[in-house]
Amino acid sequence: MSGSDRPDASLAWEAMAINAADNVAVALCDIEGDVHVRIGDAVRVIHVAAPIPMGHKFATRDLTAGEPVLKYGECIGITTAPVAAGEHVHVHNLESRRARRKAG
Amino acid sequence: MQEGATGPGPAGGKTGGARRDNASFLGFARPKGRAGIRNALLVLGINGLIAPPARRIARALPGSKLVATPYGRGQLGPDKEVHFAQLVGLGAHPNVGATLVVGADRPTAEMVAEAIVARSGKQVAIVTLDDAHEDALALTERGIRLGGTLVRAISAERRRPVPVSDLFIGIECGHSDATSGLVSNPLAGAVADRLVDRGGTAVVGETLEWLGAEHVLARRAAEASIGEAIVEAVVRREKAVAALGVDLLYNNPGYENVRGGLSSIEEKSLGAIAKAGSRPIRSVLPFAAEPQGSGLHVMDGPGFSPESLTGFAAAGAQLMLFTTGPGNSFCSLVAPTIKISAHPDATRALAEQVDFDASAVLLARATIEDAADELFDHLVDVASGTATWGEIFAEGEECLFRSGGSF
Repeated sequence: MSGSDRPDASLAWEAMAINAADNVAVALCDIEGDVHVRIGDAVRVIHVAAPIPMGHKFATRDLTAGEPVLKYGECIGITTAPVAAGEHVHVHNLESRRARRKAG
Repeated sequence: MQEGATGPGPAGGKTGGARRDNASFLGFARPKGRAGIRNALLVLGINGLIAPPARRIARALPGSKLVATPYGRGQLGPDKEVHFAQLVGLGAHPNVGATLVVGADRPTAEMVAEAIVARSGKQVAIVTLDDAHEDALALTERGIRLGGTLVRAISAERRRPVPVSDLFIGIECGHSDATSGLVSNPLAGAVADRLVDRGGTAVVGETLEWLGAEHVLARRAAEASIGEAIVEAVVRREKAVAALGVDLLYNNPGYENVRGGLSSIEEKSLGAIAKAGSRPIRSVLPFAAEPQGSGLHVMDGPGFSPESLTGFAAAGAQLMLFTTGPGNSFCSLVAPTIKISAHPDATRALAEQVDFDASAVLLARATIEDAADELFDHLVDVASGTATWGEIFAEGEECLFRSGGSF
């Protein structure tokens, strides 16, 4: 990251939304800072405040609690808390509508 | 030889010029049904008792393909039906120019041969142990002579332009990793969309991979009854698994999945089903059944990729797209299988096994749509005769599914 705030200056973008309708993007490498995100035909810069590992997701816009999270253009679960743009979206703030979890 | 020659795959920095229209491919017209993208003799052993002679016959006829079931007696009900559906479907396959049925008893061989002719109108010859007075060596010799005659006859066939709408592809994944759900499966799906939009046909299977996303698939069904059939197919298998004491939705995705970034069963299944693309689902096919009409179909079938591929082949799919992460060498025997990986280590290490390198998408040098254009070009090339690595190294095999044991 020398001389750049970008996670990997060799990449044209470090994250991508699989479907242009998605409200989360997936990290293509470990990311933190100002991340270039490919969404459809555009590349946007989104600030990622805390580190996110490769393959994990973050919000591409602010989400309210109880909002459907869209990946592949489809709902993969519901937010359980408000999520700011650039914030990690995972099991701590996303709930499946299908799975049965072990209690506790 | 060019050291480090690169195969198909979106190259870094390459920007799209004029696209090929891919309106047609060069295929072998058949008397009935879809055109073939290959033109081989199939030696079809329909009974395990004569599998070794069937193998000897195929070995004596270079370029022929061998399917020899180890089963064939003591089968009843749905197990027998699905077994014969696979044998007949493979015998009638568009990529097969002619079929030599090798059997034990004459009546069963005639039944299979008649079903193949009824479906395909192709040349079929029969040799059986009955006819050879139980002499397996005489059976072998007779099979080689008859098979050779068929090879000579089909060698007169020539490739001709065929509309791309005649293509029917099966889409499979095996040995997946994080790159599969992120790149390779959406890429295969984008190619399925391109083919369906041109009037072609595609199928995905492995019913239990839909678990958690079956309501999403159901919404994409062309009719409400098809959506209900999708949900019912998943519930039926989920219950069958539950009867064996396994709850498929309990703590799924598992620890490894969660560590890799998957947050819900919906996300995991959507990553698998992304390889189907986004077009309406026209039907739920029983295992090994031919689709009635073009467009996207789903097949209610087992979750082992060799069996799944044989189901697609028996349904008449001429070509397979097979996505993998770290690699998976298995291919269909009768349908050329295009291996796709987006994992940069895998595409480098398995350069002569992965047909399409999609790692440029992971390395932010290409979008899924760019890669899908390239892969669609490659698919049409393979349909016209370009060899897959699996064909070159003979990785193809058919694996017959059984729904019950022999009585």
